[in-house]
Amino acid sequence: MRMRKQLVVLLGAVMLAGTLGAFQRGYQSIRRLFPESDDDMIPAGAQEKAEFYFARLRYPNVRATGIWAMRGSWTVDYPKADRQFLQGLIRLTRIHANPMERVVDLVSDEIFDYPFVYVVEPGHWDLPESQARKLREFIDRGGFLMTDDFHGTFEWELFTASLNKAFADRPIEDIDDGDPIFHVLYDLDGRVQVPGIVNYPFHKTYEYDGIEPKWRAWRDSKGRIAIAICFNMDQGDAWEWADNPHYPEKYASQAYRTAINYIIYAMTH
Amino acid sequence: MFELLFNYPLSVYRKGTFVFSSGWPAALLAASLLVALAAVAALLWRRRLPRKRALVMGALEWGVLALLLVLLWQPALSVTVLKPQQNVVAVVVDTSQSMGLEQRYAQAKRLVEEGLAGELGKRFPVRLYQAGETPSRIDSLPAGPSARRTDLGAALRQIAAESSLLPVGAVVLLTDGADNAGNLGPDTIQALRRARIPVHAVGFGTERISNDVEMLDAELPARVLPQSRLSLMVTLRQAGFRDKTARLQVKEGGRIVAQKDIRLRSDGETWRETLSLNAGDAGVKSFEISVAPFPGESNERNNTLERLVDVRDRKPRLLYFEGEPRWEMKFIRRAVEDDPQLDLASIVRTTENKFYRQGIRSPKELERGFPSSVEELFAFQGLIIGNVEAGYFTPAQQTLIREFADRRGGGILFLGGRAALSDGGWHRSPLAEILPVVLPDRKGAFHREPATAELTRAGMESLVTRIEEDQEKNASRWKALPHLADYQESGAPKPGATVLAEAVPGGRGRHPLLVTQTYGRGRVALLATGGTWRWQMAQDARDQSHEMFWRQLLRWVAGSVEERVTLLTSCRICQPGEEVLLRAEVRDRNYLPASGAVVAAHLMGPGGVADTVELAPSRTEPGVYEARWRAARPGAWLAEAVAREGVDELGRDTATFHLADGSAEFFRTEQNRELLERLAAQTGGRYWRPEDARGLGREIELSEAGITVRETRAVWNAPAAFLLLAGLKAAEWLVRRRWGAI
Repeated sequence: MRMRKQLVVLLGAVMLAGTLGAFQRGYQSIRRLFPESDDDMIPAGAQEKAEFYFARLRYPNVRATGIWAMRGSWTVDYPKADRQFLQGLIRLTRIHANPMERVVDLVSDEIFDYPFVYVVEPGHWDLPESQARKLREFIDRGGFLMTDDFHGTFEWELFTASLNKAFADRPIEDIDDGDPIFHVLYDLDGRVQVPGIVNYPFHKTYEYDGIEPKWRAWRDSKGRIAIAICFNMDQGDAWEWADNPHYPEKYASQAYRTAINYIIYAMTH
Repeated sequence: MFELLFNYPLSVYRKGTFVFSSGWPAALLAASLLVALAAVAALLWRRRLPRKRALVMGALEWGVLALLLVLLWQPALSVTVLKPQQNVVAVVVDTSQSMGLEQRYAQAKRLVEEGLAGELGKRFPVRLYQAGETPSRIDSLPAGPSARRTDLGAALRQIAAESSLLPVGAVVLLTDGADNAGNLGPDTIQALRRARIPVHAVGFGTERISNDVEMLDAELPARVLPQSRLSLMVTLRQAGFRDKTARLQVKEGGRIVAQKDIRLRSDGETWRETLSLNAGDAGVKSFEISVAPFPGESNERNNTLERLVDVRDRKPRLLYFEGEPRWEMKFIRRAVEDDPQLDLASIVRTTENKFYRQGIRSPKELERGFPSSVEELFAFQGLIIGNVEAGYFTPAQQTLIREFADRRGGGILFLGGRAALSDGGWHRSPLAEILPVVLPDRKGAFHREPATAELTRAGMESLVTRIEEDQEKNASRWKALPHLADYQESGAPKPGATVLAEAVPGGRGRHPLLVTQTYGRGRVALLATGGTWRWQMAQDARDQSHEMFWRQLLRWVAGSVEERVTLLTSCRICQPGEEVLLRAEVRDRNYLPASGAVVAAHLMGPGGVADTVELAPSRTEPGVYEARWRAARPGAWLAEAVAREGVDELGRDTATFHLADGSAEFFRTEQNRELLERLAAQTGGRYWRPEDARGLGREIELSEAGITVRETRAVWNAPAAFLLLAGLKAAEWLVRRRWGAI
């Protein structure tokens, strides 16, 4: 009996080690194609004051173990994705935008100077009550939050667990294709799932059980989208690797267009 | 005394001209005077007196000789006098209710019946008139004053008109001068002067109020949008209650809508109090404004005034053009989207060649961007020009923008921004003319630096900047506002412009932030920032200052814009018997004066009384149509003018007015002596106090009106002449005695 138990534990350990090893080998091969860059030079013009700043939310992470502890943090894709996206925003629109992101949190009041805030991997955030309430105050004053890069049932539940601390009074809903947010600049009909680089070579574009991409929203009392939720997709990777030949252009293109639309929507509604 | 010494009253000397009744030439008198002077000089020369004595003696001796010579020529006064029994004297008695105060009417009646009429009647036929709501000739004075209005001007004009058929020698006016019809203007004075009729005014009543608090005026706008904030300005004065506290209250439909405790100022001082209140829902509102009376007040009926406000359920439409997406636009849109009285359409240039439109009524509307035609742009009442270069607009569009304010009467608001105002080349564009400031002649005026907004004195009183109802709380509220995200140096305000707020970037001077002015038929404002959005993002979500500011500002921009037909009345509170002038300004589809329109006004009064009146084109002003009309019943009246061109209706407009029931008689009730003195002086008459008026009969005959005769009245025999002669001789005797010459 005792022997059998030891065998099961040993087998489990071998399988886990094998899986981790395989994952590690796969990840390393992906990283060879999509190498992390140490180049975080401050872009020219970053010191100039501008109308629009791309603000990234720094949030506390949920405590996780195992595979879930390996990913999920506010710094994912930072800062290359932000800066590369801002290049596109400046080139493609008339928005007077600063070329470098800003980092804000829900502890200080600095967030109120940045009416547009981007949050990555909110499927791993764990907002304390006070931070959730501050996020609600930010939204109630007129702020706009764009969430991105979280996938599957488990991350959705973590995402909503924090959100519901301050936003449970109204439901999260799917955005209709006809909503102005998909037409404010680009007509975003026929949208596809934007995959992260972990999906390379992109035979499949989803992660975990997040098979279907969902463009969801939490609307304020006037029906305006206040939190735009990009679920089961990864715009951040698309911005970050838009300049990489291994990342398909159609995904990068849609990711840029989507975020540009979201920003113009945030600045007009 | 004067008359005793000089034979006649001073007025005879004033009106007469000097003549010599001896018939000898005046040149001979002059020569005689010179001969006398030479003779006196020769005599004194021979005596070889010291110079000073010679001069004094010579002057006295020559003075005696000169006086005797002048008297020999028989000086006299030539005056024009009324022929007895051939001229009418009009006695006009004010029979308005204010004459009932302080026994004024009783005094006047006694003066007429017990003295004046009899004295005048000895020399002239006397005609008696009463001046009340309408003037009329009467045989005897009524028992008491009952007229609800004082129209002295109408009575005097009637007498001036009658003078063409009747020799009217003079007018004796018995009144307190509390005219409230406004007809005692230059026209009436001119009519009296043309007929040369002197008006002798006898003033009744005390000249200063006592133990009274009086509300002299209450100003409210005639038309506003529903739920608008109104500024009520009340003019007050008092006597006898200095430093006491009184309650100023505004009621509408019996309900208190605003109130304020005020401290009463010095006796006789006129001062103003302001109070803000909400206009409420649409409809014609009658606001009763009152100051609670004190015990022992001499006149409580002047503590209350009534004012009508037409609260119109309109929804002015504004077009906001923004050159690039920015936060200011989002938050302006949010601020006004809940305002049921403002409709905001907007266009923003998202990319070089794409627009995003919001608030449009059809997919075709504004699809080519900023309007290029009168029809499209003039459909709006207000225009907001955001962060966009002047050069973006074609010359035709720039002309259209100017015409929007000038001709259409629309409101324009210019915002600051990195491509706005002087950074956008607006200072060198033809549209610089319509801006309320002279923009600096350079770029780099826009700064993304924090600046606080501070109200000026005008801003503290303006409703545009009223975030809080109370003026003092409002000033504190502004001081507590978060800083603006940016500001723009806007130059110097133009003459006639009003600076309501200034931007104060720490340690870098002050710059006009919110400036307003009228331009042509419209109005223009400038807000030299694109950063008021911080007032929303940096304050609690429940705070309404940002929303209130923008709603107030945009209501100012577009709320009172007139449409193609504008109806105005000459009075909003009309007095009994007063003719109301209905004046309609009619413009065609291009907002140019419409001369060929047919305009009719339908009037509805209290109890369902209705009337229709045609308005005739003005002979002097194109596009203006007028009619005079008299209301039959006291109460609130509604007039609606409809203008048609052929079968097409050009537009319609309404106006409201209130026919008062005579309460004006209890305001400004003290004797208006200044008015009476001016009237008398301008017509050649004189002001009289009642106790002096019995001597009026002798002075009345000195008139150039009616049938007159020229009389020569001797003055050589006046006692003063002989007293002077005696005085000169006595002085000579005294001088001689002093100097030992006797």
